[in-house]
Amino acid sequence: MSSKVYTTESGEVVYGIVAEFDTPADVYHAAEQVRDAGYSKWDVHTPFPIHGMEDAMGVKRTILPMIIGVVGLTCAGLGFLMQWWMNGVDYQLTVQGKPFATWQAFVPITFELGILFSAFTAIIGMLFFNRLPQWYHPLLKKDRFLRVSDDRFMICIEAGDSNFDPDRTRALLEGAGGKHIDLVEE
Amino acid sequence: MSSIHPDQVTAQHLAGLSRLPDRGTPAPGTGDGSLIDDPSVRSPLVLNERTFKEVTDIVCGYAENKPGKWWLPALIISGSIATLGGLAILYLVITGIGTWGLNNQVDWAWDITNFVFWIGIGHAGTLISAILCLLKQKWRTAVNRSAEAMTIFAVICAATFPGIHIGRQWMAWFLPPIPNANNIWPNFKSPLLWDVFAISTYGTVSALFWFMGMIPDLATLRDRADMRLRASKSGPTIAPFIPIRVDAVRAYIYGFLSLGWRFSSRHWHRYEAAYLVLAGISTPLVLSVHSIVSFDFATSILPGWHTTIFPPYFVAGAIFGGFAMVLLLLIPARELFPNMKDFITLRHMENMAKIILVTGSMVGFAYTMEFFIAWYSGNEYESHVFKFNRALPTWISDKGAPYWWAYWAMIFCNVLSPQVFWMKKFRTSPTAIFAVSFLVTIGMWFERFVIIVTSLHRAFLPGEWGMFFPTAVDITTFIASCGVFLTLFLIFLKFLPVFAIAELKAVMPQASPHHHHEGHAHGGGDHSKGGHH
Amino acid sequence: MSQISAAGQSHGVGADHPALRSSNISMAPGAGTGLKSAFIGLGVLGLAVVAIGWFKDSTHALASLHVGVITAITICLGATFFVLIFNLVNAGWVSTFKRQYENVMSLLPIVSLLMIPVFVLDYLKGGALFTWMSSAAHGDVILEKKAGFLNPMFFYARSAFYILLWAYITSTLRRLSLEQDRTGDKWLTAKARRTSAWAILVMALSASFAGFDWLMSIDFKFFSTMWGVYFFAGSAYVGTATMILILALLRRAGKMEGAVTSEHFHDLGKLLFSFTVFWAYIAFSQYFLIWYSGIPEETAFFEMRLKGAWPMVGAAVIISHFALPFVIMLFRGIKRNPTTIAFFAIWSIAAHVIDMFWVVRPVVHVANAADPVGWGMIWIDAGAVLGVLGVLGWLIVGKVTSGPLVAVNDPRLGESLDHRNYV
Repeated sequence: MSSKVYTTESGEVVYGIVAEFDTPADVYHAAEQVRDAGYSKWDVHTPFPIHGMEDAMGVKRTILPMIIGVVGLTCAGLGFLMQWWMNGVDYQLTVQGKPFATWQAFVPITFELGILFSAFTAIIGMLFFNRLPQWYHPLLKKDRFLRVSDDRFMICIEAGDSNFDPDRTRALLEGAGGKHIDLVEE
Repeated sequence: MSSIHPDQVTAQHLAGLSRLPDRGTPAPGTGDGSLIDDPSVRSPLVLNERTFKEVTDIVCGYAENKPGKWWLPALIISGSIATLGGLAILYLVITGIGTWGLNNQVDWAWDITNFVFWIGIGHAGTLISAILCLLKQKWRTAVNRSAEAMTIFAVICAATFPGIHIGRQWMAWFLPPIPNANNIWPNFKSPLLWDVFAISTYGTVSALFWFMGMIPDLATLRDRADMRLRASKSGPTIAPFIPIRVDAVRAYIYGFLSLGWRFSSRHWHRYEAAYLVLAGISTPLVLSVHSIVSFDFATSILPGWHTTIFPPYFVAGAIFGGFAMVLLLLIPARELFPNMKDFITLRHMENMAKIILVTGSMVGFAYTMEFFIAWYSGNEYESHVFKFNRALPTWISDKGAPYWWAYWAMIFCNVLSPQVFWMKKFRTSPTAIFAVSFLVTIGMWFERFVIIVTSLHRAFLPGEWGMFFPTAVDITTFIASCGVFLTLFLIFLKFLPVFAIAELKAVMPQASPHHHHEGHAHGGGDHSKGGHH
Repeated sequence: MSQISAAGQSHGVGADHPALRSSNISMAPGAGTGLKSAFIGLGVLGLAVVAIGWFKDSTHALASLHVGVITAITICLGATFFVLIFNLVNAGWVSTFKRQYENVMSLLPIVSLLMIPVFVLDYLKGGALFTWMSSAAHGDVILEKKAGFLNPMFFYARSAFYILLWAYITSTLRRLSLEQDRTGDKWLTAKARRTSAWAILVMALSASFAGFDWLMSIDFKFFSTMWGVYFFAGSAYVGTATMILILALLRRAGKMEGAVTSEHFHDLGKLLFSFTVFWAYIAFSQYFLIWYSGIPEETAFFEMRLKGAWPMVGAAVIISHFALPFVIMLFRGIKRNPTTIAFFAIWSIAAHVIDMFWVVRPVVHVANAADPVGWGMIWIDAGAVLGVLGVLGWLIVGKVTSGPLVAVNDPRLGESLDHRNYV
């Protein structure tokens, strides 16, 4: 998708342009402007999730919950089959005069296994879709960027975006009220 | 309940509408944040009009600054007690279960009591992190991290007891369904095996939930260490003459654990979706765990054990005891740590006191139902348990229950003592809350003891009746489990983000993207709707 | 984390909020008469069917009527529990429609009076439903042990006591809310909270014992400490369903625009979903513990419901009350759409009726080996349930149309109007 590679005067490849904002409201409205300008490879970095930001950025709802549901129900079913096969077929054990395979007694473990694998899916899925862990990232090299984890709000538009243009993108962020606008090197 | 009309000035203070004089000094919170009766005002969640930066500084400070003078002695004492437990367990393993006070009639007593006690403690953490999340209770953000930590440590303590009780501890690997040379599988119809799955699932999911919640805050700690490293060439080192900076170690460890989190909104979106799903599945999980624990007893035919209300009754009791433990830990913590009262306000205390009152009443409801149905059933064994094994004191009748004192200690601590929280004076007094929580913790231990031991010690055959007395090994193991719990909690207090920093910031009024545009007062709005018609 | 948004985000909204304009939150005079007539028509028709049934098989008609009456009572009990809980926890998001909960709540004592015809007919039939009153049960060893509790005088006195208690609690809360409409005094909300605090204790105990008396005692040898919780779980479930239905109908009538939105339906849907699960948890635990232990005096209850076609009814309860709604209501879109969630509300009421049918009705024909369900006269059940619910519907429409749809001076209206589900 990305067509052009931009470099700085010193020859470093440009990752993107980052702009800083003071308040959630500022970054929220700036995000709406970036969204409306048609960018796709960009992101808003905030110390905490700002509600409604998905809409301001035009991010589609994640399908993660759906995947968790499917995996959870499947694993619960497999868990039931496991018990049914182990106690009902492979190693039949007479306990309390109950049948070898009793669905009632298998409910607790079926349930627990469904929950366990849903939880694994939730956290692994979240990391997978977020492409994490990723211990190296160009943004983390910027000193000012580290303040995002405290009280700063930043928008970064990547150079790989097809709409990206060093001057126009900078002007857009400036117009949206961005401060300390800066290039980020790869 | 207090009077209807609160003092207007206080109300404004509590709503954060007026600036308070000693703001900015390290002195802990001003304005106590307790709930006010005015239904049109919500108390602020963070007192003292803290800014985002102050929140970061305060919370990270707990992990970055030197701990208080009390911390190391406390750690040494609790660590020593924990070590004692190691010795007791070693003695148990090399000698055998005979070192415990179990006997032919009471063949399940101390260890299972402790197991249920500890696993119950954990439930408050999950209630706060999951159920209160689903119920959109924003105040949970101030207590969820430490409560979740407590959950995990309690599960560790709990899991120890059945682990060491199995007799041949080296055969523990027979518990999970692992293919083995004997070609046998575990018995999935056994409540004890359900426990294995329930507890391990609970421990795993709680740990995942806890870790996932910490990722952003660990990233904050990482960034702060990084910033200090970049800002100056020198700083404190891990030991004299070793040129490794503490911040370098921090940046490395927190950096590794935070997985490269960079506070991206695209990430936040999936993170919150996953968090909500985890909360959604942890809610039935927490109910199931203590229900399954109750199945250990309720699937039997023993009067006093077999009763259908056990699952929800155990869950309510677990949350009850768990909240008491949360309060036992947090009330001293908020005194010992600077500025912690800004986050754990009296409002939080009052809310938790109310939960204690509600769950305590639920437990009282269950006691009532058990007693009533034991009589209503017309089954003389059922009524015998409640009358002659539990309630009737020996000084009233010589047919009375030798353990009557345990039963009445349970009733006093669990049902009666929380009733003081009907009065606002006690709900908002940390001392009173601490005292009640202490009683409740004792009462909940006795509840398990009463259920387990009094039902067993005089069952169907009078010829088999007997008593249970704990041995020194029993007692040492239990006290040591408290040591393990405290040790882990002290380590947590020092090295990890004690509050969910990102979540705390997000419930502050200035976090709303519509905050400035609608011109709110700083620190919470005066919603003076109503009353002016 | 999902709940994050600014603290105290609500702000003063007055009657000038567009969603609170008078045309949006009040019914035109005469509105709902069509629906009212339809409901009372259904009620009269259904009860006429019961009357015919009475002459065909009086015990059957009595049990059917009891199914209907218990369903109606649980609906109102559910609404009452929620009013109490909302008051106690200072719930903000419900402010725009709490009045509807209060409407249904205020019908609780009236609907409970429907127990009187059940008692009278049962008396006429010599304890055909509450079999411990029958002469056949006289001298039963187990019954004699519990005669201190299960004797007609104490039984009727207790029932009267519950209804009086409920009348007091519901009318007090209703009065406080209506008074706020008139005076705008926000402290009435605080007063309602204080009333709710003791009231919820009283309700928990009285509703449990009502469950013991009116349902569990039908099979006087059966006992379960869980029964009160089971009764509550069903009530909360069907109460939520009824509320969703009322709100969806109001939205369909073009009312409450902006006051009750997809966000509210979403959360009400979550409540419905969670009580599906909670009910399943309680019902399964009760069944499971009795099944696992296998003590004859307890298993008899389930044994009775394994005869003939009763297992089919049991399966219908499991599927309709839990399995199907559980899977489908997991989807977010279903809960946010007023039409689909209203469909599940009706579904849930039906599921609850089947549950109550499964609890009450076996007592009638279970001795008849050929047809222990009594399929031949299932029309009496249909008539009774639709009849009683018709009367309840008529009462509810009357209440809803009797005043403003929103408690206009609720101090937390702003929170409810701003309510949003993030994530």
